[in-house]
Amino acid sequence: MLIKQTCSVLAVMAGLASTAQAEDLNALIWCDHADPELLQPFEEAHDVRVNVKEYEGTAAGLTLLEQSRPGDWDVMVIDAVDVGRAVERGLLAPLPTEGLSTDSYFPEAVLADHTTIDGTTYAVTEKFGYNTIAYNKAAVDPADMESLDALWSGKYDGRIAIYDYYLPVLGLVGLEAGVATADLDAAALETLREPLMKLGAASKQVSDVVSSQTALATGEVDVLIGGGEWLTAVLNAENPDLDWTIPEEGGLLWAQSLAIVEGTEKPELALEFIKYVTSPEGQARLATSSCYWGMPANQAAGDVMSDEQKAILRWDDQADYLARAQLYPVPDAETDTAMQDLWTDMLQN
Amino acid sequence: MRILSWAYLLALFAFILLPVVTLVIFSFQDGRLPVPPFKGATLDWYREILTDRALMEALGNSLIVALLSSLVALVLGFLAASGLARVLLPGTVVMRGLLIAPMTVSYLIIALGLLQMFNKVGIRPSLLATGIGHVVINLPLCFAILYAAIGEHQKSALKAARDLGAKEWQVLWFVAAPMLTPGLAAAFFLAFTFSWDEFIIAFLLTRFDVTLPVEIWSMLRSGLSPATNAVGSLVFLVSVIVVVALELTLFRKGSK
Amino acid sequence: MVAPALLWTLAFFVVPFAAMVMMSLAHMEGRDIVQGHDLGNYLKIFTDPSLRRGIFVSLEITVVVTLISVLLAWPLAWIIATRVPPRWRRIALLLAVLPFWTSYVVRSYSWALVLGEKGVVMNALVGLGLLAEPVQIMATRAATIIGFVHFFVMLLTLTIYSNLVQLSPNYARAAEDLGASRWQVIRLVILPLTLPGVMTGAFLTFVLCIGDYITPQILGGNNELSLPQLIMLQLGRRGDFPMASALSVVLMVIVTLAYAGCARWLKMERL
Repeated sequence: MLIKQTCSVLAVMAGLASTAQAEDLNALIWCDHADPELLQPFEEAHDVRVNVKEYEGTAAGLTLLEQSRPGDWDVMVIDAVDVGRAVERGLLAPLPTEGLSTDSYFPEAVLADHTTIDGTTYAVTEKFGYNTIAYNKAAVDPADMESLDALWSGKYDGRIAIYDYYLPVLGLVGLEAGVATADLDAAALETLREPLMKLGAASKQVSDVVSSQTALATGEVDVLIGGGEWLTAVLNAENPDLDWTIPEEGGLLWAQSLAIVEGTEKPELALEFIKYVTSPEGQARLATSSCYWGMPANQAAGDVMSDEQKAILRWDDQADYLARAQLYPVPDAETDTAMQDLWTDMLQN
Repeated sequence: MRILSWAYLLALFAFILLPVVTLVIFSFQDGRLPVPPFKGATLDWYREILTDRALMEALGNSLIVALLSSLVALVLGFLAASGLARVLLPGTVVMRGLLIAPMTVSYLIIALGLLQMFNKVGIRPSLLATGIGHVVINLPLCFAILYAAIGEHQKSALKAARDLGAKEWQVLWFVAAPMLTPGLAAAFFLAFTFSWDEFIIAFLLTRFDVTLPVEIWSMLRSGLSPATNAVGSLVFLVSVIVVVALELTLFRKGSK
Repeated sequence: MVAPALLWTLAFFVVPFAAMVMMSLAHMEGRDIVQGHDLGNYLKIFTDPSLRRGIFVSLEITVVVTLISVLLAWPLAWIIATRVPPRWRRIALLLAVLPFWTSYVVRSYSWALVLGEKGVVMNALVGLGLLAEPVQIMATRAATIIGFVHFFVMLLTLTIYSNLVQLSPNYARAAEDLGASRWQVIRLVILPLTLPGVMTGAFLTFVLCIGDYITPQILGGNNELSLPQLIMLQLGRRGDFPMASALSVVLMVIVTLAYAGCARWLKMERL
């Protein structure tokens, strides 16, 4: 029996070894970049293999990079507003800008202030969307959803889910309290404790992407704070009643960007990958990736996408949305810790 | 009493089997959501997972890690058990305690400790690192099973072989191993199962090449889908076939 | 011959553990880990209400799960060992532990499908008119406990069953000859004799339950955080290795105390 097993192990290993010959590109990513539909065309065109590893939250991603050795990573996906943080710690390499024109981008989605530091460009935005309110319009009054007040009114107690990411949700709680995300510092944060705890008490669960989708789709909750098109778009075919809006207080704009990791041994290949993802075809695939959807930063993707896809993403309303949305809060280390502590308190009470 | 017994048996079986049955049924769901109502049967999800490159690689990785790590754990455990059973030294109790100790520690702690040590000495997270972790958790298991299997009868047989001039490796290979076959098989089988199904060590100690539980976890996190049910059902089906086959061949003799 | 196993355990168990204890004495300054020798993290665990509560959440869940699992598993093992005809016994046992062979991650996930408001259980209960409307189980502590109990009933049934079949039927017969009723036989003779099996299984349940991340994460809805969830939060969100290590050491101490508490009944090498 053991001999047989040994043989089968050797056979499996031999099989794996033969597939492992192509060059590798190591990418630290969010789950939307793991979609084979997105990666395969690039892998075939350049005869490489893109290895992906997901991470959660910028702090964890940066820790991961710091514990790695130079050359371990080639590219990474990072919140556009956090590029500065990564550059400050010497983790990103300058990004050559030839061939990476942002002329056809949504102007608000370029975020050059964040991706260019002291005149050097380190990252390019690729996808954006909103953290606002997602809801089941068959179960709630859509008119209520036009104001964040509804979540604190008591009317929807026990039917609310909170998206488990402290930055956007604290940003939204701030908007409700009249604090712009740019002003969200340690002092302002303390004033948010009470409304956050109240929101926590009114909610049924605090959940990641899938649990939130499940809860919305199965009717366990009717409202999700922190959600948006990225959460409801994939479920559109299944349940067209799932909808989202940006309330009068505003919403949060999330924008993810791509950067080359400092110390990479394959800067050309990394650049090629970034060029591919920001090309109209790559943008269209990324926008409708299996994990979550989002608006492509590059408007040229619109020529490649179907009208139906664009309708789901509400392509034509973007001008209005972009005008009303605010960027993620960018806390310093101390405020970030305070935010996470506050978030843990909310989870634990 | 009798009726009560059977009612209890049925109730608990229903409780135990309920999630598995639900899992399997909704793996055939003809729709995007694996929850009631059942919308009709399809095999699409099975086709999807069988053509999923990442998933199939994870499956292969899991097989390799489980086979190799349980083999290493088995050999180390066998040597230690035979060694400790041979003579009673003053340090025996301490050594036995040390070897058993990892069994009383949460996997999460073992994973975290290894992660930090590997970071320090510059070993990248990989399947090898995961395999090392799995040997740590399975070594106590293999050792305990084999140590318990060496009774007085076995001890005297080993002693006789040594007295007759057999070399140590001959004693182990020709006398101890054949005598302990049921124990060796059980230990290997258990170790394999634990490694195959282990999540947290593999989650913290891998990077790109992941094992099946880690891949399933990222499937779970990236979208609700009957495909997850299909993977679970397939793993379940294959495991049950293997278990039943073993039950009918290997363990039948041992149990009677 | 013992050396390779001992070396392995030293290198990959004792040394990493020591490294973790060292790390627990460091602390974070901003986003950097600063090596040190202070007990700040431990102090914080016992003064910060959210972290301290994690210890109690974990303990409460684990104790309840262990008790319920033992209470459910003992009769099941006993029925299989004594009531089921011998030729069906191994099949019954196999059925009782069948879900072991689904993937561990998938098992919790399938409970999420079963327990949801639109899940199988609520559908059936409402459909049969037993409930007016669905009750919330999913995303509560009850869901976590159900998920855990499901797994540990299987584990305990195995350990108790193997203990039961090793008992000679003569004990029971002797007691009956001496005039004991069937209940007295079970309570006064068989139950005490299975204590080692029960305690070993209960201890294993305790260790595995208190250290598990997946089950509360999938089923608990993040409405309260257990120790492993807090540890993973430190790692995944903050990269705070010192605090994660300190929490792990606390977890380790709890398990060691539990071990010391029931050590005299345990036969770890007799699993």
